[in-house]
Amino acid sequence: MIAPYLTQKTWLHRVGAGHKLLALAVISLGFTQLYDGRGLLVATLAVLAFYLVTIFGHWSRLRLYAPLVPLLIGIGALQAYASGWELAIASIARLVAMILLADLVTATTPMLKMMDALAPVLRPLRRIGVDENQVSLAVALVIRFMPVLLNEWTKRGEAWRARTGRRPPLRLLAPFVADILRLADHVAEALDSRGFSTKRSKD
Amino acid sequence: MTQPGDRNIVLSGVSLARQDRPLFAGLSLDIAELRVGLIGDNGAGKSSLLRLINGLLLPDAGAIVVHGLETKAQRASLPGKVGFIFQNPEHQIVFPTGAEELAFGLRCTGMNSKQADVAARAFLAAHDCADWADTSVGELSDGQKQHLCILAILVMMPSLVLLDEPFSSLDLPSRMKFMKMIAALPQQVIMASHDLDVFANFDRVIWIDGGKIAADGAPAQVIAAYRQRCVDSIGRAP
Repeated sequence: MIAPYLTQKTWLHRVGAGHKLLALAVISLGFTQLYDGRGLLVATLAVLAFYLVTIFGHWSRLRLYAPLVPLLIGIGALQAYASGWELAIASIARLVAMILLADLVTATTPMLKMMDALAPVLRPLRRIGVDENQVSLAVALVIRFMPVLLNEWTKRGEAWRARTGRRPPLRLLAPFVADILRLADHVAEALDSRGFSTKRSKD
Repeated sequence: MTQPGDRNIVLSGVSLARQDRPLFAGLSLDIAELRVGLIGDNGAGKSSLLRLINGLLLPDAGAIVVHGLETKAQRASLPGKVGFIFQNPEHQIVFPTGAEELAFGLRCTGMNSKQADVAARAFLAAHDCADWADTSVGELSDGQKQHLCILAILVMMPSLVLLDEPFSSLDLPSRMKFMKMIAALPQQVIMASHDLDVFANFDRVIWIDGGKIAADGAPAQVIAAYRQRCVDSIGRAP
């Protein structure tokens, strides 16, 4: 299965995977600690500007995230109802900033580099009998497949719209989950047939 | 690489149930030819047979020995010997760039990341695909993706290559290119396909029907028998 990696090299391609993941974690943590509404808005706009400058010319990438818009509006509405507009805007700003930053990391980091960066962090898991290589592959796959799944959801929605002329309803989730499970089976077979689960990569 | 003596695939009394339905019951089969085709209707058991041979499926009863390896007991060694090409390259390619896709298999065989990367790039370059090393796989055409899948398997130097409907989504030029490529492989090849023309120069074709071998032998005879059965069954249909 294939998820978008930016072939055209940006300066961010040259930064080590470990550094990028660390920066992502620190900045994301920073965003959760930022409570001032105006400050948050400025920070999010700064992230957006940084994002647009970095992926300059590859705007179509943003279209991948279109399906998230209703979700963000839903979260915002719920927050606005429960705790007021200011908090709602703050929550959405946080989410948007984190999504954009995470996307920059996936767009500019080869997956094997990502796995190599994660493996040492996960090594302590070995003490409880968990193989860090398998966990790092799982994490990398989740990161890589997120945009793919969003794309699949859009396709399902389009098929629905083509047949009914209406917006896709929530119950479309059931066949979508079935799609994901089938996809997971195929990917697992592909990994298995190349010996991932039987022999371990060592570094 | 393949030695003349270790090209035997032997299924003895193999039984397998799929979704609680028996598919193979006591199937026995010897395969030693270099080019073998599998034909039959959807659900007849072609894919399951291929998956039994590479150890993705294990038999409920009986035994399968592939190039000297028993699939149950020596399953861990199979990926090094048996390469598998899937129908949909989108399912097989799990990595975002060509070099990573090739390097992954090499790392599974125990190479470290540096060696695997160097070997993957060298292999791509040797096959006139050096450009793909850092190209996002999403930018490749369907034919190029399938080509990459085949290279990702060949880089592991298998002695047997299994192909499960590898060309069903490809255009005619891509099909012809791959058939030429497959014809030139030194490896033993077993391929399942609905495109019966691709088997013209194969050594043997096996027709599987409902988990049983309906016909087995030279491509021309077996394919003719299968075509006739299809014509007859359409004639009988209401």
